[in-house]
Amino acid sequence: MLYIHQTSCISPQGTYPSPGAGVATAGITAPRRPVDNLLRAIEPSYEGIPGSILRRMSKSVKMGVGAALSLPGSAAPSRVLSPQGILIGTGNGGTEDSVKFLKQIIDYNEGLLTPGTFVQSTANAIASQIGLLQHNNGYNVTYVHRGLAFESALIDAAMLVNEHPGHSYLAGGVDEISDHHYRFEYSEGWYKKEDLSGKDLYTTDSPGSIAGEGAAMFILSGTPANAVAEVKGVLTLRSEDHPTIKAAIQLFLERHLPAGTLPDLLLSGENGDNRGLEGYELCEAMMAPDTTIARFKHLCGEYPTASAYALWLACNLPAVLPGHLVKWLPSKEKVYQTILIYNQYEFSQHSLILLERSL
Amino acid sequence: MSRVFITGMGIISAVGNSLAENRSALKAGKAGIILSRHLPTRYAGILPFGEVLIATDELKEKFEVTDPGITRTTLLALHAFTEAIADAGLTDRELRDPTTVLVGATTVGGMCLTDELYRDTIGSCEGSAYLSSYDCASVHMYLQDRYHMQGFATTINTACSSSANAIQFGARLIRNGLASRAIVGGTDSLAKFTINGFNALQILSTGHCRPFDRDRSGLNLGEGAAFLVLEGEDARASDPRSASAAVGHGRNLDARASDPRSASAAAGKKIYAELTGYCNTNDAFHPSALSAQGNGPYLAMRGALQSAGMNAQQIDFINTHGTATENNDEAESRAMVRLFGEPPPFVSTKSYTGHTLGASGAIEAVFSALSLEHQEIYASLNFEQPIPDIGLRPVQAYGTYPLHHVMSNSFGFGGNCTSLIFSKVN
Repeated sequence: MLYIHQTSCISPQGTYPSPGAGVATAGITAPRRPVDNLLRAIEPSYEGIPGSILRRMSKSVKMGVGAALSLPGSAAPSRVLSPQGILIGTGNGGTEDSVKFLKQIIDYNEGLLTPGTFVQSTANAIASQIGLLQHNNGYNVTYVHRGLAFESALIDAAMLVNEHPGHSYLAGGVDEISDHHYRFEYSEGWYKKEDLSGKDLYTTDSPGSIAGEGAAMFILSGTPANAVAEVKGVLTLRSEDHPTIKAAIQLFLERHLPAGTLPDLLLSGENGDNRGLEGYELCEAMMAPDTTIARFKHLCGEYPTASAYALWLACNLPAVLPGHLVKWLPSKEKVYQTILIYNQYEFSQHSLILLERSL
Repeated sequence: MSRVFITGMGIISAVGNSLAENRSALKAGKAGIILSRHLPTRYAGILPFGEVLIATDELKEKFEVTDPGITRTTLLALHAFTEAIADAGLTDRELRDPTTVLVGATTVGGMCLTDELYRDTIGSCEGSAYLSSYDCASVHMYLQDRYHMQGFATTINTACSSSANAIQFGARLIRNGLASRAIVGGTDSLAKFTINGFNALQILSTGHCRPFDRDRSGLNLGEGAAFLVLEGEDARASDPRSASAAVGHGRNLDARASDPRSASAAAGKKIYAELTGYCNTNDAFHPSALSAQGNGPYLAMRGALQSAGMNAQQIDFINTHGTATENNDEAESRAMVRLFGEPPPFVSTKSYTGHTLGASGAIEAVFSALSLEHQEIYASLNFEQPIPDIGLRPVQAYGTYPLHHVMSNSFGFGGNCTSLIFSKVN
């Protein structure tokens, strides 16, 4: 029993709550488009972070800390709002500072270097900075399992609320576009070679996706009162074998949904890479005829913890879906209560998150 | 809640390439800290390191690895992993069982390829064979693929406490009914990257490190890997596909063991020790230093006692974090005094292996389990004078002791502190 109480998100779509504007929703009418095939996050001014500390932070640390500190109501601590632990998933957090430090090493021939970027380059800098700024002495962990890093944090949170009923936890996924990382992944063929401006990501019919970044944070507990949604199940799988993947999805749905029912909405991680399309279609084919199918990677881009953005989106969906999200809309009107998020990372890492929203 | 037992261990470090070699060096008080000339750094021959004395190519040959993208970090992990699964007598079928999970830890990952990474970073070429090997996950995805493991797998990086957290996480997956068996551990190799990082922080000693000594002057970096096979006493795992499928059901899931023979995974096996307590806390003081009073370490040790249902007097021995930096040893000492009053016998085995970063928690868990199995304490090396106004002295000679409960500490950058408690099983 894992319940989501609060959410916040820094993304390329300006999903960050601005002062006085209340909680940001996902009712985006005109999505921001990629520039040079990159969807860079719209960062806030990070008012809660002291300037002297902010200057030393890498972008992923800034986004992670900023999203965590912005959780609505965090200024008024209560049992639910003061988490007993911090769990972060990041695929490439720290990469940018690692490369900066690496360049110092080579450029100065291993001379006397400044340690700042080395200390910031450890992937646990995001979780530890949140702990430091919130004076949180509780559980603190960082998962770095590439495309399943955020899901690992969610699974850990589910165990924590089982072990400590009444406690709440901050869990999130954070990644930044590191120029160096982008270059590696580009040369490995994970991003599109052609310019995407003016084109629809999903109809390109070419290999690769577009790069993205962001930070999504959640306050979780085992208590249903005032929850936004319940995480009914999380599954991770490493496989490129379609029958294996299909069997895993089937079993997951049978286990977590009432017999004979299927999700109201499938939020698919389809990313415009024509080599991965078959995998996503395999999951779509398992849905009911009246399951709405929506996509999100044109909003956040592709990155290892994009599923955290998808979870934020699922928690904050407006009643009427903006057209750009929709891949398949059944004729019958639908209330989106049960949402399945299916995501792949680099074809071999798969995850399923099943959500039941409180209506 | 299921009890969690260690049924197999594997280790490679500066003092030996196997469990037996490591124990024999520890008994003999023989450190592995040397002035190496092999490392690709200008500090080779100048600063002492705890180096594993097998070349990367030799490791590749031993395991018939031909893939050029496999790094030294991964090969060290493979070495320890192979020994651990053989020691536990795990069959291929048990390794492939979806209720067998893999929880690994590393901080260096593929960054051991500092020079290659640099070339790939500045180069305009198509990139080297190492492109997908630079991250930490690559290590455990390789192990997963090599052994066709179908269960849940993940990678933790909480700096120098990484593999202690991998052990804790694996044990919790078993206790929550999400796994029958967890293969847990950590690996890190000596890298130009970390050598220069710690050197920039000015915490590398020019001589052999001297944990808890008044005149200690920093740590020696080391490399190595250790893996432990954890098995539940009543492991009835949940789901044939993946442990994580059960999330949301907690312990009340409709337990369905995929492999009837795993119904009691640890039954009838050799048991080194039981993992009875664990706690992860954050010092929340400074990105690269512990608070003077050791709040994070104190809370981790206290929390581990609470989770084990023990009082401080029941701990017979502590394998400390004991890096021999000015900051760590003082903070850890003060935390031990706060919690224990007069602390039980303690040592730092980093005086043998050096500080193996993400691997150290698992390496020292193996040493703690060996201490329990053989009822012995290995001498802490290079200690002469206690820290003034604290006055603690580590155990300085090998000896046999009646040991029931042993604590192992691991603390890291970012304030990540973890304590584990291992207990003797009769």
